[in-house]
Amino acid sequence: MRLVQPLYMAWCVLFVAAPILVVCAAALNGGRSMLFPPEDPTLARFTEFFVTEEVWTRALGNSILIATASAALATLLAWPVAYGLWRTGSPLARALAGAGALPFILPPIVFGVGLGFQWSFTGLLGSLPAGILSHAALHLALPLTTLSVGLAAIDRSHLDAAATTGATEGTTFRTVILPQTIPYTLSGFFFALVLSFNEFIVMFFVSASAYATVTLQIFNSLRNGFTPTMAVGAIVFILASVLAFSLVARFGDLPRLMGADESRR
Amino acid sequence: MSAPAPRDLTPAAARPRPAEAPAPARPPVATPPAAVPTPSEPGPGRLGLSRPALGLVLLALCVAPFALVLAVSLGVPEDGAAWDWGLSLQNYRRVFVGLDWPETTSRLYLARLGWSLAYAALASVVAVAFAFPLAWAIARRSRRTQTIWLVFLLASLSLSEVFVVMGWDILMSNRSGLPMLFRESGLTDALKATPIFDWLREQGLASPRDVRFKTSVPLTVLVMAYLVFPYAVILLYPALSRIDPAMMEAARTMGARPGTVMRTVVIPQVRLPLLGAVLLLFVFLLGAYVVVTQFADPARHTLTVSIYESVRGATLNAPFGAAQAVVLLVAAATALLAASGLARLAERAR
Repeated sequence: MRLVQPLYMAWCVLFVAAPILVVCAAALNGGRSMLFPPEDPTLARFTEFFVTEEVWTRALGNSILIATASAALATLLAWPVAYGLWRTGSPLARALAGAGALPFILPPIVFGVGLGFQWSFTGLLGSLPAGILSHAALHLALPLTTLSVGLAAIDRSHLDAAATTGATEGTTFRTVILPQTIPYTLSGFFFALVLSFNEFIVMFFVSASAYATVTLQIFNSLRNGFTPTMAVGAIVFILASVLAFSLVARFGDLPRLMGADESRR
Repeated sequence: MSAPAPRDLTPAAARPRPAEAPAPARPPVATPPAAVPTPSEPGPGRLGLSRPALGLVLLALCVAPFALVLAVSLGVPEDGAAWDWGLSLQNYRRVFVGLDWPETTSRLYLARLGWSLAYAALASVVAVAFAFPLAWAIARRSRRTQTIWLVFLLASLSLSEVFVVMGWDILMSNRSGLPMLFRESGLTDALKATPIFDWLREQGLASPRDVRFKTSVPLTVLVMAYLVFPYAVILLYPALSRIDPAMMEAARTMGARPGTVMRTVVIPQVRLPLLGAVLLLFVFLLGAYVVVTQFADPARHTLTVSIYESVRGATLNAPFGAAQAVVLLVAAATALLAASGLARLAERAR
């Protein structure tokens, strides 16, 4: 009976990791097909992905640009919304937060279709800025949530102390609120970054085949089947996600962000 | 893609509380020097002023696309890929009963909606069923172990649908996946000697020579369940971590067996979060696309595939695609409203 729980946990690790490990191993294949275990192992696919094949290097560049810019934009937009919600809690502030969360909670394909219409009417369809704005809107809910958690965690006595010593709202913001919420700001940024990196369907509608991110490029090449070079992309993305979330865990309080009970450790 | 339920966005502490008088016994040690007021400070004062602008930006980026889908869905398709604005319901008629109704009725798109709902419902129930014991086990571990698990789950959760499909494609491929494992271990031959193999062939899960899982309903459901499995654990984790161990210990000391404790103490406390998790995963899976194109039989494709075909792909009929998107949106919104209703119930019950 004692053993059941650890065994089940081990089985879950295996279930979650199996497809990922298989993809990673397939990247070593010497030939063009995705075999497991890899045949004729080589690292040539890595050179192809990062250096020689322009399709992939350009796609990686686009992915990085869109992910970084959209995550930064989403965090910048989320700050005033979350702050307004925390400060006033007014119906207007709630409506703003609700609007900001909408794209994330509804099926992304509907949002993608809508953005496709919107950018084609404004003549921006297939431009990189439109892609960045789209992902910023889609992932706005993430920094919004982490910031709400962070603002709610600010020690009330610090705010009272600032108020009794005569600090203006601006000073309090700069000296109390901002420093205490930096981990949550960064967490929100990394969440948005990783998800933008991996996002596929919205970018599919918004890029209009004018440019490709890595996930888009993989989907576009699917007609000819999966190839080991794509698997290299998968490895890069997995490592990037693990790194980003480890940073969040290192500098922020991950269990708290995920809504764990604070009273027990 | 990941966590937040809508209710998370308005934490109770975000609402303004009446300012308590600072306790004199608690000196403001950690407060940075904040004595000199500087009126020209940039910051929240400005943020307050810019609220109309902020509202406009959010409206244009987050709300307008949905409104556009709704508006286009009422448009009238013309020759070729052209269409015109309008106030027609013909696109919706086509989704539900076909273009030539009432002469003939076509249930093609209704069937696709049916598959969307069926895959999503099955997969979310499967995912929650398997996630519950894991979330339970994680919530009992130390804070440090919990964090490691959360990093692992978040990383696999955020992994693109494209990569997940790639991994399962290899795992199910005839040359190096599960069918190969069946063949090499002799299981395929053993199965062939029994009526099970004929049954598998009838179900489309075997070719004359080998077992074959692509394309099939079970594989589609399995991969969809895989997609949301980490999400399910993360959704159940807060509810399970809040269960007071003292209550369980009390039940144990009074002689209840572990099964009884689970049934009478734990399950009643998490019934609503469990249902809420199923609904959120369901909404998430309504949007699944790559899985369906790769692992589902074309006759059993979902609404997402035909939305793509109408808006971008072979058939090019934007208003019709928009109408299908609205139908999907309504299904998602209904499930979300039910989920938030459950969340409110759970909050009241606590």
